[in-house]
Amino acid sequence: MDGLMRLWRRLLFYLRRNQFDRELEEEIRFHQAMRAEENHAEGMSAEEARYAAQRQFGNQTLLLEVSREMWGVRSIETLIQDLRYGARMLLKNPGFTLVAVITLALGIGMNTAIFSVVYSVLLRPLPYSAPEKLMAVYSMRPQMNSFRNVVSAPDFVDWRAQNKVFDAMSAYTRSGYTLTGSDQPERFNGLSVSANFFQTLGVKPQLGRAFLPEEEEAGRNRVAVLGHDLWQRRFGADPNLVGKSVSLNGESYVVVGVTPADFRFAPVEIYTPLTFTAEQMSDMARGMHSYLVIARLKAGVTLAQAKTDIEDISRRIERQYPITNAGKLGNVIPYQQDIVGDIRPSLLVLLGAVGLVLLIACANVANLLLARAASRQREIAVRTALGAGRWRIVRQLMSESVLLSLVGGGLGLLLAYWGADILIKAVPSNIADFTPGWRQIGVNPQVLSFTLLISLLTGVVFGLAPALQVSKPDLTDALKDSGKGSAGLKRQRARKVLVIAEMALALVLLIGAGLLIKSFQQLQQVTLGFNPSQVFMANVSLGSAKYREEPQQINFLQEVLQRVERSPGVVSAATVNLPPFSINSDRVFTIAGKPEPAPDAIPDANYRVISPQYFRTLEIPLVRGRAFTDQDVAGAPRVVIINEALARRYFPDEDPIGKQIKLGRYMEANPLHTVVGIVGNIKHRGLDSEFDPEFYYPYAQTPARGSAIVARTQGDPLSLTTAVRNAVLEVDKEQPLTRARTMEMAISDSVTQRRLNMILLGIFGALALALSAVGIYGVMSYTVTQRTREIGIRMALGAGRRDVLKSVVGQGMSLAASGVGIGLAGAFLVTRLMETLLFGVKPTDPATFGGIALLLLGVAFFACLIPARRATKVDPVVALRFE
Amino acid sequence: MEKDKTRKKAEMVPGTLEMLILKTLERNREPMHGYGVAQYLRRTTSDVLQVEEGSLYPALQRLAINGWVKAEWGQSEKNHRARFYKLTPAGRRRLKQEVADFERVLEAILRVVQPAGGAS
Repeated sequence: MDGLMRLWRRLLFYLRRNQFDRELEEEIRFHQAMRAEENHAEGMSAEEARYAAQRQFGNQTLLLEVSREMWGVRSIETLIQDLRYGARMLLKNPGFTLVAVITLALGIGMNTAIFSVVYSVLLRPLPYSAPEKLMAVYSMRPQMNSFRNVVSAPDFVDWRAQNKVFDAMSAYTRSGYTLTGSDQPERFNGLSVSANFFQTLGVKPQLGRAFLPEEEEAGRNRVAVLGHDLWQRRFGADPNLVGKSVSLNGESYVVVGVTPADFRFAPVEIYTPLTFTAEQMSDMARGMHSYLVIARLKAGVTLAQAKTDIEDISRRIERQYPITNAGKLGNVIPYQQDIVGDIRPSLLVLLGAVGLVLLIACANVANLLLARAASRQREIAVRTALGAGRWRIVRQLMSESVLLSLVGGGLGLLLAYWGADILIKAVPSNIADFTPGWRQIGVNPQVLSFTLLISLLTGVVFGLAPALQVSKPDLTDALKDSGKGSAGLKRQRARKVLVIAEMALALVLLIGAGLLIKSFQQLQQVTLGFNPSQVFMANVSLGSAKYREEPQQINFLQEVLQRVERSPGVVSAATVNLPPFSINSDRVFTIAGKPEPAPDAIPDANYRVISPQYFRTLEIPLVRGRAFTDQDVAGAPRVVIINEALARRYFPDEDPIGKQIKLGRYMEANPLHTVVGIVGNIKHRGLDSEFDPEFYYPYAQTPARGSAIVARTQGDPLSLTTAVRNAVLEVDKEQPLTRARTMEMAISDSVTQRRLNMILLGIFGALALALSAVGIYGVMSYTVTQRTREIGIRMALGAGRRDVLKSVVGQGMSLAASGVGIGLAGAFLVTRLMETLLFGVKPTDPATFGGIALLLLGVAFFACLIPARRATKVDPVVALRFE
Repeated sequence: MEKDKTRKKAEMVPGTLEMLILKTLERNREPMHGYGVAQYLRRTTSDVLQVEEGSLYPALQRLAINGWVKAEWGQSEKNHRARFYKLTPAGRRRLKQEVADFERVLEAILRVVQPAGGAS
């Protein structure tokens, strides 16, 4: 602060330096006049008194100098001089300046845009108090290589009671709430949370209070905290809402609090207390994992200590409950790391890639500067001859390049502003909502400082080498001639090195982009196992109180399905608890007649509950046996259909049809279901996922609460939305239809991040290609100009156009080939860093490496061809007279 | 000749000029112009400390840069335009610190120079 004030005073002083000089002189005149008067009063003659006053005062000129120096004016003055001169030089070469500024603006702008995303998502602290102390706690099974599994209620309760490392520990699970009342029924994302959830995050409700510990108990848990947005939108920011009742899922909840406006925890609008039932707390329930856990470290406790403590407790639990907990431990991960884990690798690869683009841009501008240096050689030699020191000239040239990069940076900032906006909008809300900080991406002070910093750095990087080169001219040579002496040759070498570097960097980038594009293609060709086109999907919820009994759920779905099937344009309709490309749920099961499996080899499979037309609707092939029929209802023999993956894994050498399985573990007394059919595998978790073992249950025998309606249509699937919504409202006027979409939209959304990576890296690669092509073109053009005389002589001696062409192109291509060689080696080392982003292609895929290398060589070839053709048009007579 | 001059002039200890200016401004309470400061220093030290009067001005500038004094134009006693300097709160703190430092150094020097057991 103090330093800043000092700087400010200096600047103020600089702006008013003339006034300052005048004032100081006036002050001195006043002083001497007063002194002379005093001397006169003491008896000197007037003239004597004046001289004495001057003598007593000392060297006036020196004092003025000293004062000025003290304000640091000299260095500011030279800097401003340099900048002014630099600006003049840049304006004198508008072509050069324009190309350089645009190149830099693209490079800096892209870097700023990507950095603004990286900053918001990875670097900005989470908006909770002391966010670095927040930890995510998971179950893990290290032998099975899974480290981030949800937690069972009894395990959580034990951890919470026994740990010595956390101030607060809170479990939560997603839930959905249908808000009914005055308006239309509306569906909201909710969270069931332990009572101390808000304390754990360090957040105080803006209105009312957080939950009380006793509100975790059944009977007292009909209370809710509402999100700020919901409170404003649905309740008109009613300040008296606290204490009033709202209807959630058909039951009455008392609102006890409203979150602050800036509070955000995923896209959640309704919080209710999490209550564990006796069943959820039973010993067997240790095998039912459904909760996420967040905890706050005690002061002074390290991550390692927390990990150890939770592991120790887990081992005690493991010894006591080996059936459910063998091989299962607790795992502690810093919360921020946990939530950005998925997006982090892509962002880092993008940041690296965009950094390469900037380096290429730097090389290109350095190249331009070197080319221009030839024409400035004489100017600089003159300045040197007149006594300018080398440092002074380097400083002058550097001021020019920094000026250039600052202008480029300014323009780049505009580009970034616009680019970041496109980036944000390119991401669908389902990803944006769950990516912390995504909504806050923008140009903020941190991003501005970043831009300023890289602009300055860029100016230094591309400016320094040319400045050093140019500033040590061979005086006599330079003054005499147009730059064909040794300095000219050296400069040529520097330019060639730059072009090789550019080619190499561009190749690395292009190979990265190529690998992503190939991954994406592979992903598009993945066998889905079903036909996603012309399929409509939407969600309904059976969480409300009136669907507590199974017959009510079955009845509701049946009624809705009948209506949907009758809607015009519907080929077939079905219901499924969790449609493909939504979320997943797996269950352990037991095969009747087999010995009890080892605890770490208990079979499990994805669990789907469907209506009979499901396979027909999605066109999933029936491999053997039969599909479900309307006769598979409660009371009829219990049946199940499995997929081929399950059949292959758990019935390798036998016919599964007719075999019996039950949900749950060996000793659990659950009803047996007979396998009646085998269907084809489908991708459920994403295009890049495996075919998981899967079983299907008929909804009329084994209902599930969450449900989606899927329908195959003849026309545009989305045109069905209104019809389905009406069908649902006809059956239950308090039931909202949510997330109406097509299957193809869901699949496309699932690869958004990959697509975005691919597009961005593709853009960076294309830019790199263009820049390096311009780079090699520039160098070859210059070379041709330099070689005009030589070419003329050759042609006079009988060389044909073909020979000339070959010679020039050959020279250029040898540069390109060196660049490509180095680039291939670099890419070989670097692409493995992006392995997690690839699918179906190795980081060292020979086809990509080869193809991209050829592409780059081809572009370089054409870039060389243009100057080479110009060389063939050299008229020997003119050339020999050249200069 | 050389020696004579040194003795008579009693050169300023480096850095003390600023302290003296600050002290002068503090003691005087009212803002003072440069000439007033010079006059005051000359009179109170009975010419023992001979300051080249011009060197006051760079010193005053330095104090201004650091925000220890504030300069304003005003009318002198004889209705001339003159620049008046005023001590700022930061300057007051600075003075306190400089005086303390100076006293510590002086005490140390005296301890060396004075005969043992003399004063205490």
